Amino acid sequence: MEVSFSKEIEALRLGAGDTFHGEGILAITKGLLQSGVAYVGGYQGAPVSHLLDVMVQAKPYMDELGVHVEACSNEASAAAMLGASIHYPLRGAVTWKSIVGTNVAADALSNLSSPGVKGGVLIVVGEDYGEGASVIQERTHAYALKSSMCLLDPRPDLGMMVNMVEHGFRLSEHSNMPCMMELRIRTCHVRGSFECKDNVPPPVSTRALMEEPAGFDYMRLAHPPVTFRHEKLKGEERLPAARRYIAEHRLNELVPGTHADLGIVVQGGLYNALIRSLQQVGLADAFGATDIPLLVLNVAYPLVPEQVADFCVGKRAVLVVEEGQPEYIEQEIATLLRRRDVQTPLHGCDMLPAAGEYGVEVLATGLSQFAARYLPQHAQDSAKGWLMGNRDRRAAVATKLQAPLPNRPPSFCIGCPERPVFAALKLAQQDSGPVHIAADIGCHAFGTFEPFSMGHSILGYGMSLASRAGVSPMMQRRALSIMGDGGFWHNGLLTGVQSALFNDDDAVLLIFKNGYTSATGTQDIISTPDDEVKERAVDKQQSLVDKNQTIESTLKGLGVQWLRTVYTYDVDRMRKTLNDAFTSDFNGLKVIIAEGECQLERQRRIKPWIASLLQRGERVVRVKYGVDEDVCNGDHACIRLSGCPTLTIKDNPDPLKVDPVAVVIDGCVGCGLCGANAHAATLCPSFYRAEVVQNPKWHERLLHSLRGAVVRALQPA
Amino acid sequence: MNRTQPVTLLVCALGGEGGGVLTEWLVDTARHAGYAAQSTSIPGVAQRTGATTYYVEVFPVPLAELSGRKPVFSLSPVPGTLDAIISSELLETTRQISNGMSAPERTLVITSSSRTLTTAERMQPGDGRADAQRLLDVVKAFSREHHVFDMGTAAREAGTVVSAVMLGAIAGSGLFPFPREAYERMVRGGDTGAPEKPGKAAEASLRGFAKAFDTVNTPRQQAALVTSLLATTANDVPSPQALSPAVACLFPPSVHDMLALGHARVLDYQDADYAMLYVERLQKVLAAERAVDPAGAEGFAITREMARWLALWMAFDDIVRVAELKSRASRAQRVRNEVKAADGDIVKVYDHFKPGAPEFAALLPASLAHRVTAWDRRRKTPWALPLKVGSHSVLGMASLRVLASLRWLRKRGNRFAEEQALIGRWLDAVVSGTREDWRLGHELASCGRLIKGYGSTNERGKHNLLHVIDHLAVAPLPDASPSTRATAIAAAREAALADDAGTALDAALVRHGAPPRPVKAQPIRWMKRQQDSTRRAR
Repeated sequence: MEVSFSKEIEALRLGAGDTFHGEGILAITKGLLQSGVAYVGGYQGAPVSHLLDVMVQAKPYMDELGVHVEACSNEASAAAMLGASIHYPLRGAVTWKSIVGTNVAADALSNLSSPGVKGGVLIVVGEDYGEGASVIQERTHAYALKSSMCLLDPRPDLGMMVNMVEHGFRLSEHSNMPCMMELRIRTCHVRGSFECKDNVPPPVSTRALMEEPAGFDYMRLAHPPVTFRHEKLKGEERLPAARRYIAEHRLNELVPGTHADLGIVVQGGLYNALIRSLQQVGLADAFGATDIPLLVLNVAYPLVPEQVADFCVGKRAVLVVEEGQPEYIEQEIATLLRRRDVQTPLHGCDMLPAAGEYGVEVLATGLSQFAARYLPQHAQDSAKGWLMGNRDRRAAVATKLQAPLPNRPPSFCIGCPERPVFAALKLAQQDSGPVHIAADIGCHAFGTFEPFSMGHSILGYGMSLASRAGVSPMMQRRALSIMGDGGFWHNGLLTGVQSALFNDDDAVLLIFKNGYTSATGTQDIISTPDDEVKERAVDKQQSLVDKNQTIESTLKGLGVQWLRTVYTYDVDRMRKTLNDAFTSDFNGLKVIIAEGECQLERQRRIKPWIASLLQRGERVVRVKYGVDEDVCNGDHACIRLSGCPTLTIKDNPDPLKVDPVAVVIDGCVGCGLCGANAHAATLCPSFYRAEVVQNPKWHERLLHSLRGAVVRALQPA
Repeated sequence: MNRTQPVTLLVCALGGEGGGVLTEWLVDTARHAGYAAQSTSIPGVAQRTGATTYYVEVFPVPLAELSGRKPVFSLSPVPGTLDAIISSELLETTRQISNGMSAPERTLVITSSSRTLTTAERMQPGDGRADAQRLLDVVKAFSREHHVFDMGTAAREAGTVVSAVMLGAIAGSGLFPFPREAYERMVRGGDTGAPEKPGKAAEASLRGFAKAFDTVNTPRQQAALVTSLLATTANDVPSPQALSPAVACLFPPSVHDMLALGHARVLDYQDADYAMLYVERLQKVLAAERAVDPAGAEGFAITREMARWLALWMAFDDIVRVAELKSRASRAQRVRNEVKAADGDIVKVYDHFKPGAPEFAALLPASLAHRVTAWDRRRKTPWALPLKVGSHSVLGMASLRVLASLRWLRKRGNRFAEEQALIGRWLDAVVSGTREDWRLGHELASCGRLIKGYGSTNERGKHNLLHVIDHLAVAPLPDASPSTRATAIAAAREAALADDAGTALDAALVRHGAPPRPVKAQPIRWMKRQQDSTRRAR
């Protein structure tokens, strides 16, 4: 990728006495190094991409420390990597986006947890829940329960987060259980500071290698009969050991309060929201001094029954603040109180919503219910006024606006190579009729938004081809599967292509070959054009993905017979190729490779290059498309076929006409789609392509002046 | 219990506007000034043009005076408790306000007046843009204090990105207890950069910073900006055009401005005779309107509307017209400005044309034209000639001029005759409708809006208009009172502009007791899949 993390890498080198300033996820990364981690792996995905991106770029420094960094092909391979800690005293950490990533990794996690680990294992998952999240279904918590792994949910304070990383490894080693750490989006991006420690080079590392492999030990295999023993160990030894460690080192925090006969149990990650909510109902101050005692669970699993019971016993009521469903913690607390015959009334999902992010307003609403019931003397006028005010104001704005505001979903970047393919697909369906479209995860999922609104299903990353296996045999017309190169390597190659070939399926697969896993932050993959290629390229503006043929050779090697590669910006050709695939007599797997390098990456490469050329006064050609306002018909068919942010509309300059005309605004990168669409779809003739030649050569200037004279003579005013 | 609260700021930006840098500047400024601060963000897929928000909290008491205590900051903005919202896009500002974020008694709203239109707004066949005035009204009504200015322009003029402008606005508002220098130091590069001589980029950022700082700091300047902005939002005011007295005297003054424009358009499009035909047609409408509204109580609105739509239809777009418009010197200049070419630069302009058989047939006499179009229909895919004409080159310009000179041929062409016939049908409908009921006539006249553009768009428009005329204007509806028909026509017109598939239109037609439009035959390549058994036989 073209982004540089040099600044972040500097922060990783900080030592004792320094203060770290920056984002949460980078603090976690620093915490790993302070804990003497020996190997790090994972798969990119918001909100934890940075952890791996920075480590990968920090390779030289990692080599200094003897830390191995692996950019895994998917979460399953990342989880499997943790197998190193089963036999050896190696501290390992992996990271990915949850819940999706954890689902992909499930098998390896289960077989890692069964024999248990010797070296500490920390799995940093981005708990992608609430505002700005893309996969809010399911909770990572379920995996901690079913595979019996510890689940850390640290208070979103950088110092505490780093501290919990270090404890996480020790906890894992004490209990032989892998530890997961869940970080919510805002926690990953929170900007704060903490006092650093020196980084610890791992005792066993790439610089201090092991002489011999471990001896054979059947107990370390996830294989019967020992798995039966493992199941016993989980309950008899590992969980108790974990609970001992959690209690001894006070990983969960007890916050006293004046109303000692009440209490709130809260996930560490929700602590800040809870404190602000308590402030809003007048039960806490800005420094976290609270009237109601708190039990802050920096470890969400396992709970320490004694700790919870001691907290609850003798109280008039306890409220459990737990985000997401099902309410595992509340249920566990209810069970353990019942077993101990502790009669304290327990509240949670009866006062707080089961689904949705626990923002301050939501929490405060629940808290004021709790307070109203158990602190009737506590004045809540201001809180009630505030909540009521919000409701009324929203209603008032809605009525003032009359119509609902238009949404602004994310869309393809300016000049994105994937946009033209959806334009072609829209046109192809006019020729061959509508088709079932199995969509996938990746930037191309934006094709499900306006103006294209295409796609019938999204089953998972790289799953599109597999997800139509039951559809296409049942349908007269062929189904189309769309997949990115990211999804292809993540698992589309096996779950999709291999299966389709083996079953001799009549399927159409379109692979977006843009060279990177762009949606997660343009990380490199095996089919990314090499840096040397980028170096050698004379014209840095051109797309370079065609220089890497790994996907093509893989498909051929696997036995794909119908394979077409089309440059995405050639809309007409893409339309024809799609029609061929939909109507061809060949009944096997038909693969179309849509080739065009990610425009984000291209622009990051092009901008400095152009700047340097202009600085040296060299010739530069800048392309921009435009619309003739007096020719544009104001129907906006061009926009319905593009949606490019720079192809927008403005008031019609013609006083006779009322509908706005199309206009290409600054920022157009001259990708050529406007022109290609104008031809492919026979749009109105208002589009022009302008080539601006800066620092032209002398003969160019001469020719142009001569030509100009004649042209001007021909032109009317 | 200590009741001091943090100062809270919500930042709304679009992907790639540097919101991350902005929050980093703010947090670092606070830190260097000795205050506790925290920022969080929801970047999501911001880089891909989506909306994104950042949230900043600063504790207003210096750390030194907190005797070691650390404030607990919220990670997410709390509706109704914000001290300020700053946003680089007007719709996003309003969105946050509609989420209840801004409280009229507490929140300062600083927003850009500029709009980045959403796809949903841009893709409508008509005008789908949200009413900017209404958005501004919401900002005014639900903020303690508001500053509205064009951040995009401010950034462009300073040669920087909008984040620097936003920082200046925040500093200028005095929201946080930091001096101006504290902010500027961060822009220069904070601890790392040398404050003495900042780099080119930093210089630009500082210019943008200063611009916004003054704008927000000096209300008078600001008020001026707003008023100028409000002025520009009112558009579509026809510019006065010379109108020959001979023509003018035939129509009431309230029609003159539109008439002048229309007359000039038709004259420029064809010739004096054609312009005269325009005037005669319009006189028919005027006569009809005078019959129902002699006093002109409605300001002769029907005639005025017809002056607009009749001119536009009579000057229908064809290759001759396009060649004319594209080959003008004024157009070449407009392109130079649009692509922001410097004096030394060479600009090459390539025009994308794809004339099909109908475009050429249009200029042929009926018999010949029909043969051409018939041949075209027999083809598997309609014939068309994709062209990239370099209007900067001699050959390109020459060919454009040759095409433009075919104006004489147009009048003899097949399409011209067809258009005149259709215009006639519409005109008659308007005239008879007007005589029946003023509103009915007015609605029919406004239907001229459906006719625009070239090729399929133009065909679709005419198809829709004729269907409306045949089934809503003329044919009696179940309840045939003129006013109901007028309402139905208005509804149909709006629906016709909703989507190009015409789904909304058909629905509207049916709702008002008229038949939906007949399904148009659309040839598709049919592919019948072989049964599995035969496939396996391979």
